[in-house]
Amino acid sequence: MARSTSRSHHGIDRRTFLGGSLALGGGLAGLDLSRARLVSAQAAGTPKRGGTLVAAAEIDPIGLDPHNSSNFSSCQAYDHFYESLTTYDEKTNIQPCLATSWEITNGGKTYTFKLRPNVKFHNGQTMTADDVKYSIERVLDPKTASPWISWLKAIKEIKVIDPLTVQMNLDAPYPLLGSFAGIRASAIIPKGLAEQENLKIKGIGTGPFKLVEYVPQDRIVYARNPDYWDKSLPYLDGMVFKVLTEENARIAALRAGQIQYAFFSGQGAAQLEGAPGISVSKSPTAWVVVHYINKRNKPLSDARVRRALRMAVDTNEVIQKAAFGAAVPSGPVPTGYGDWYIDPKTLPYVKADVEGAKKLLAEAGYPNGGFKIEIKCSPQYPEFVATTLVIQESLKKLNVDVTVTQMEWGAFVADNKKSNDSCGKEGTDIYSSANTFRPDPDGYLYPYFHSKGEINKGGCDTPDPKLDGLLVEARQSSNHAERKRLYEEIQRLAMRDSLDWWWYAKYNIEAVSSKLQGYSQSFTGRRLFLKKAWLA
Amino acid sequence: MRYLARRAVWTILAVFGVSVLIFLLVRLLPGDIVDIIAGTEGQLSRQQRVAVLREFGLDQPLPVQYFRWIGNMLQGNFGWSFRTGQPVATLIASRLPITIELALLAVLSVAFVGIPFGVAASVSRSVRVRTLVQIIGVLGLSLPNFWIAILLIIGASSLFGWLPAIIYVPPWADPWVNLQQMFLPVLSLGLGLSAVVVRMTRSSMLEVLGQDFIRVARAKGLSTRAVLLRHALRNALIPIVTVLGLQTGFLLGGVVITEQIFGLPGLGWTLLNGVYQRDYPVVQGTVMVFAVTFVLVNLLVDLLYTYLDPRIRYE
Repeated sequence: MARSTSRSHHGIDRRTFLGGSLALGGGLAGLDLSRARLVSAQAAGTPKRGGTLVAAAEIDPIGLDPHNSSNFSSCQAYDHFYESLTTYDEKTNIQPCLATSWEITNGGKTYTFKLRPNVKFHNGQTMTADDVKYSIERVLDPKTASPWISWLKAIKEIKVIDPLTVQMNLDAPYPLLGSFAGIRASAIIPKGLAEQENLKIKGIGTGPFKLVEYVPQDRIVYARNPDYWDKSLPYLDGMVFKVLTEENARIAALRAGQIQYAFFSGQGAAQLEGAPGISVSKSPTAWVVVHYINKRNKPLSDARVRRALRMAVDTNEVIQKAAFGAAVPSGPVPTGYGDWYIDPKTLPYVKADVEGAKKLLAEAGYPNGGFKIEIKCSPQYPEFVATTLVIQESLKKLNVDVTVTQMEWGAFVADNKKSNDSCGKEGTDIYSSANTFRPDPDGYLYPYFHSKGEINKGGCDTPDPKLDGLLVEARQSSNHAERKRLYEEIQRLAMRDSLDWWWYAKYNIEAVSSKLQGYSQSFTGRRLFLKKAWLA
Repeated sequence: MRYLARRAVWTILAVFGVSVLIFLLVRLLPGDIVDIIAGTEGQLSRQQRVAVLREFGLDQPLPVQYFRWIGNMLQGNFGWSFRTGQPVATLIASRLPITIELALLAVLSVAFVGIPFGVAASVSRSVRVRTLVQIIGVLGLSLPNFWIAILLIIGASSLFGWLPAIIYVPPWADPWVNLQQMFLPVLSLGLGLSAVVVRMTRSSMLEVLGQDFIRVARAKGLSTRAVLLRHALRNALIPIVTVLGLQTGFLLGGVVITEQIFGLPGLGWTLLNGVYQRDYPVVQGTVMVFAVTFVLVNLLVDLLYTYLDPRIRYE
């Protein structure tokens, strides 16, 4: 759920999601579900009721239908009035939402959700199990054309046990289902709503705010939901998101006090530095720039070669040139993701080590480099091209010749998919892209590195028993601490062998006027916590 | 009358040409509404894609799509936006007033600023006035208006800490706030256009002022004011009006970017967003409105000639 730097120039969400790289599986089943809901963000001052927040939306949402638009812009708009069975807290841990608890039985094939009683939709109707069944079945209905269907297709049957109990039967164990919050196409809407309303511009949910009006290309107006199930929230009486795609206009409006919230790129945020009454928040988000390596052919089939090449590139140089400094080094799981990431201070190869790289290459039988590799990237994402060019330049020191091939994004995605589908038999050596949000750390590792993983480039024919074992163990474990330990070990192994090259997690940069208090950023990049913010 | 009929035929042909062109061009853009709706993170199966295309009628052969569109449009039905499901005609009707206001204010400001400046420059012997006019001319012609717009927005907020309310207010709701909101966009649009008009007015005036009838007017004792405004300017107006008319096209192009920068929900931005989101009916509908406007303004300019110079007759 990250954003691209150049979003202001195109009305289209430019979020990468390479063909086939869906996060499948994950072991959230074992999370301790009785854990109390986290208290709201610790912020200075006491929350105050009232006031209308005027904010800028950096892009016009492409429709508000929560079930058939995968665009981040849409999610940002409907997040305030739709809710799912679960949600995230500030630490990106799963928390109960419309479901208060759930049980997994039948060897992981049956999920039973207990619903929160007395939850009112914005039209006054009470939410029941029928609405849940209707909503999820709408996603599964091929006619809905939901791009998220593959995240939920394990569901074979949805049964209403009683008005507050829903049972979902799967055709195979699928641990991801507990993390409904991460599956954006899981909003619960009143039964029959889609047949009565144009959900592209209207919406009735259970969220902290009601949708009052959406005027495409202009504004989205929300009003406080007085019947919200969490009685203390939200603090604001309402919100207006004005669509301002031009970053300079957002900067100006924030400076002049016409808006109290906006999203910025690294360059934009630099202009706001030192501006009185404005505070800029940065935190890493789920956008890890990565080079996918085809490990089938020589010389890249040799882990020492992959590691040597990675060692010759300075991560901070990449961050400066590709992300203008607005990023932090990251391993496979994005820095900042819950308990799952590796402390950037302990990441290997952050500083370039050209001598070490040369030695390693000699060990692998290439004392003077002297080979050629091809990296494909798309100018649709200038940061991918910039990262690739830094690699090209750095590897000259090892006498390794890098051919940089730039392709139109669609063609690039198709080429990379071909390489994935053929286990690296087709396609080129290396692809430059980024990994976005996965509802579970498993999604960053299993599909790529398990020999049965769907998008394993070249590793499918030469299983690594140790890695395979760890990946399966982590999936099946129900102990949080145990999973944390396993995922750290897996990531260390993946980086030691440079299975792919991970560079950085980009910052999510949001600026608020000092009038807006209590707002905290979410690793997901979603504005989930505006419901806990207030105007001083 | 015969002239008018001929013009009408040409106008219809031009609009028809535009319709074919825009219909094809928008479909030549890589990507379509299915890609946009699906987004880049999820995936649509082949069957899902086909279903969506069918829903929007995009599975039909191009000629069928085209004639269906034209046929509907002739009956006043501009189709429905792919993205929002709203009727395009309603959308255009709600956005058009903003663009018309913006364009009218820009043309008016140009006429009321550009022409007097041009006249002043033609008669003034002051070096300062001439230099000023030169500077306006060069800057206005060479700076693209989107850049001027960004400079204005940054300047207003960082130098004066001022920016009008961000949510558009129609003039009938609050004329004063509305004027504030229109001020910077009109300025950014008007500057380039004024430059052209100032220069045109100046050179056209200089030419007229050198003619015999001006000397006669002066000789018979008319005031300078009467000579300049009634005799000289009236005769100098034809090229100025021509330029203003031609520049309407430039203005329509300008509003597209200007509206986007200032967040004005007018027709220009509707068009731009439509292009980004491959919302064919919206793009086609708005372009047609722009095309018809352009053609009509040019027709109007030609007709104005006969009023400005009664010697001109169209046969």
